[in-house]
Amino acid sequence: MESQQGDRPELPRPTLWPVGFAVGVVCALVGFVVSWPAVAVGGAIMVVFGALWTRDVAGARRRAASAAAVPPTETAPPIPAHRGGAAMAPPAPGERFPRSKFLEGATLGIGAIIGGAVTVPAVGFMIVPPFLKQGKKEVDVGPISDYPEGEFVITTFLLDPKEGEVSRRTAYIRNNGFLRNLPSFTVISNRCAHLGCPVQPGGLIQDSKAKTEHTAHGEEVTLIPVLGVSSFTCPCHGGAYDPEGNHTAGPPVRGLDRYEFSIRRGRLYLGKTFSVKRVVGTGADAKIHRYNLRAPGEHVGDWESWLYPLYPPH
Amino acid sequence: MAASARRKQLQATVLYPLDWLEERSGLVGAVRYFLFRKVPGDTNWFHTLGSATLTAFLVQAITGVILAMYYKPDPNSAYESIQHISNDVWGGWLVRGMHRWGASVFIILMFFHMARVFLFGAYKYPRELNWIIGVLLLTLGMLEGFTGYLLPWDETAYWATVVGININGTAPFLGPWLSSILNGGASIGADTLSRFYSLHMLVLPGAIFGLIGLHLYLVIRLGVTSPPWSKEAAGADWLPEPEEPKPPRTGLVQPVPRGK
Amino acid sequence: MANRKLEERRAGFQRYKRDVKERGKPFYPFAMFHDTVMSFVVVIVIIALACIWKWTTTDHGLGAGWLGPLYADKADPGTTSFVPRPDWYFYFLFYLLRIFKWPDSVILGTVGIPTVLILLLFALPFLDVRRERRLVRRPVAVIGAVLVAISMGVLTYKGAVAKEAIASEIKALVPSWTKKQNLPSNAVPGANIFSQVGCLNCHTYLGAGSSNLGAPDLTAEGSKNKGIQFQIDHLKCPSCVNPGSPMPSFAALGEDNLRKLATFLEASKGGK
Repeated sequence: MESQQGDRPELPRPTLWPVGFAVGVVCALVGFVVSWPAVAVGGAIMVVFGALWTRDVAGARRRAASAAAVPPTETAPPIPAHRGGAAMAPPAPGERFPRSKFLEGATLGIGAIIGGAVTVPAVGFMIVPPFLKQGKKEVDVGPISDYPEGEFVITTFLLDPKEGEVSRRTAYIRNNGFLRNLPSFTVISNRCAHLGCPVQPGGLIQDSKAKTEHTAHGEEVTLIPVLGVSSFTCPCHGGAYDPEGNHTAGPPVRGLDRYEFSIRRGRLYLGKTFSVKRVVGTGADAKIHRYNLRAPGEHVGDWESWLYPLYPPH
Repeated sequence: MAASARRKQLQATVLYPLDWLEERSGLVGAVRYFLFRKVPGDTNWFHTLGSATLTAFLVQAITGVILAMYYKPDPNSAYESIQHISNDVWGGWLVRGMHRWGASVFIILMFFHMARVFLFGAYKYPRELNWIIGVLLLTLGMLEGFTGYLLPWDETAYWATVVGININGTAPFLGPWLSSILNGGASIGADTLSRFYSLHMLVLPGAIFGLIGLHLYLVIRLGVTSPPWSKEAAGADWLPEPEEPKPPRTGLVQPVPRGK
Repeated sequence: MANRKLEERRAGFQRYKRDVKERGKPFYPFAMFHDTVMSFVVVIVIIALACIWKWTTTDHGLGAGWLGPLYADKADPGTTSFVPRPDWYFYFLFYLLRIFKWPDSVILGTVGIPTVLILLLFALPFLDVRRERRLVRRPVAVIGAVLVAISMGVLTYKGAVAKEAIASEIKALVPSWTKKQNLPSNAVPGANIFSQVGCLNCHTYLGAGSSNLGAPDLTAEGSKNKGIQFQIDHLKCPSCVNPGSPMPSFAALGEDNLRKLATFLEASKGGK
């Protein structure tokens, strides 16, 4: 190849016949695996395009031999080394859109497309899924008869059985009796509103009265009653809450989150989680200042909540 | 001592592959330049902290790669795979222990190295870029520690990560989005472990290796600073120009020439 | 003017290169020897730590030896009794979070101060543009470095010893309380209740617990001789007895448990 280029200044013309030949080869190979007629078709394509290609190459050789006598074309003037812009050949007189500019634009453009085609799906794969399909179904936490009135029960359940153990959560659930003929429950999440540490109940945990219920799909729900809860405290940075989940001491920026609940066929179901600024009143009469669910550490309902204007879909 | 013909032949045999490599790549010359370049004569033990940090990082890289052959990054099997490594696999307890304590040693050495560079004033012209790269390396190193801490999937790992991600979430404006991306969802799930594993094994080490390469290139190019208290500090314009060497004493005894 | 400073710097660097060329020593073997010895020490230290960690733990790795246990329990996202802590090199940031106790200031401790500090670190070469490197002539730098080192050390230490009152740990202290206070046997059930219902989240007792919301130390509560009935009434309604008291009511514990608590408090006469 090198000697060819050295001896003959004129290179063979670009030709598409090899492409057709390659298509024929592929077709034949695929046919070996898939079906025999394809082999025949591939073979025919190979023969046709191979013949055309050979004719082209042979013709180019003959033409090059006759063109060897032509004097070499004039070379461009030398480019000054320190000027990068002039490293490209200056446009010929009369050219409005020089070939070099087109090639430059095409290279950068195609490079950008390649970059985008690889990066966008990959980075999107990393970033987009955490924001999709984050809703969750209801969780069955046992018959309401298991929840004695006026006492908190430490209830441990699987938020999403498909995810398994990693979705295990704990809630402090208190049966408040009836409010206008409907059962009222206080369901408080045990994740501290400061930075998410597990909050501990300030009461006598009665392990001897622990119970295990099963949901319709067989997952376990553990219920452990706690006597005399006077507060909830967080062991990480000293946060404290009252039995309604209101923040009483330490760095938590709002009250403890709560779960919505519903009752069907005598069983308690936990629904969406929501955030709470504060709760006025106690038990069934409590008025809850509720907000959409926020992550721990994010303010709601006060001047610092403007720091979080756009919230990811959850 | 005249080199015998046999010795010459031996030398030629050894040098031949090196010359072959050098002619085709220039690598041998680069290694020779790195090894035999001049450094200030008064470099002391404080200057070893940088290479010590690199050694600690290489220990982490090697033990980490080997641990990855036995570790399973799934919440259901991560904890058990670590127990398997520690109890059943030959040498597993040693590799795991080296990786865990190597992390602490790496971070301590980074802080000491940073303190040394600061006190020597080696962040000043023309080494500002190197300092910035170094601070980046410090941040990335601590992020390595943070992401790696989750991998054993025990209580300390899980809860430290919950708090760490929520701390990120308190940043204004983009905080909630960043913590969702780290979590791989609304809260820590199975995806979080895979995500942290990928960050810990691929993204962060790749970035750290690249930045270390740049860091070392700049050290070689810009040179190492002398200790600022040294009497022979290189480039020190506060020291008087070296005086003319005194002519040797006349007399019977010739003084031994100083300085080698 | 800026040009002159730049010229001075460049000249200084040229002087440096000239000095190194004239008086420098080859990196190998002089400086590389030091590096190799130090790296050797580093590797030995890492291996030694790994070995000590393994060999000093008890109970198949669950007991803490000199360097902590080999394993904690497997992650349980629903736990109610675990005290989260980060790895030791994050203790200074962890303690910063405990210092910023006021909800409005939380964001300063989580992202505000650490971000400012790291930005200062990045910007250091542009904040200190003097060419001076001698320590005696860089008082700001030296004092700054010493202060930073000391404060990070103090924050790390305080982060390491920070304790919150956690029920399972305190319950284990009851036997030592019984000994120190010479508690009669009828006061021990009350001691158990006291350790679990969260009293030590605000009160201190024989060095355990934390002091919050102005709650007094209860080690010598019994020596004040307020009487069992007073204690019961106070526990049922603290703000009735002490107007303005932020202490919540413990009436839900029931008369029986309250009596046991009161007995314990009255028997706590202060450790010998």
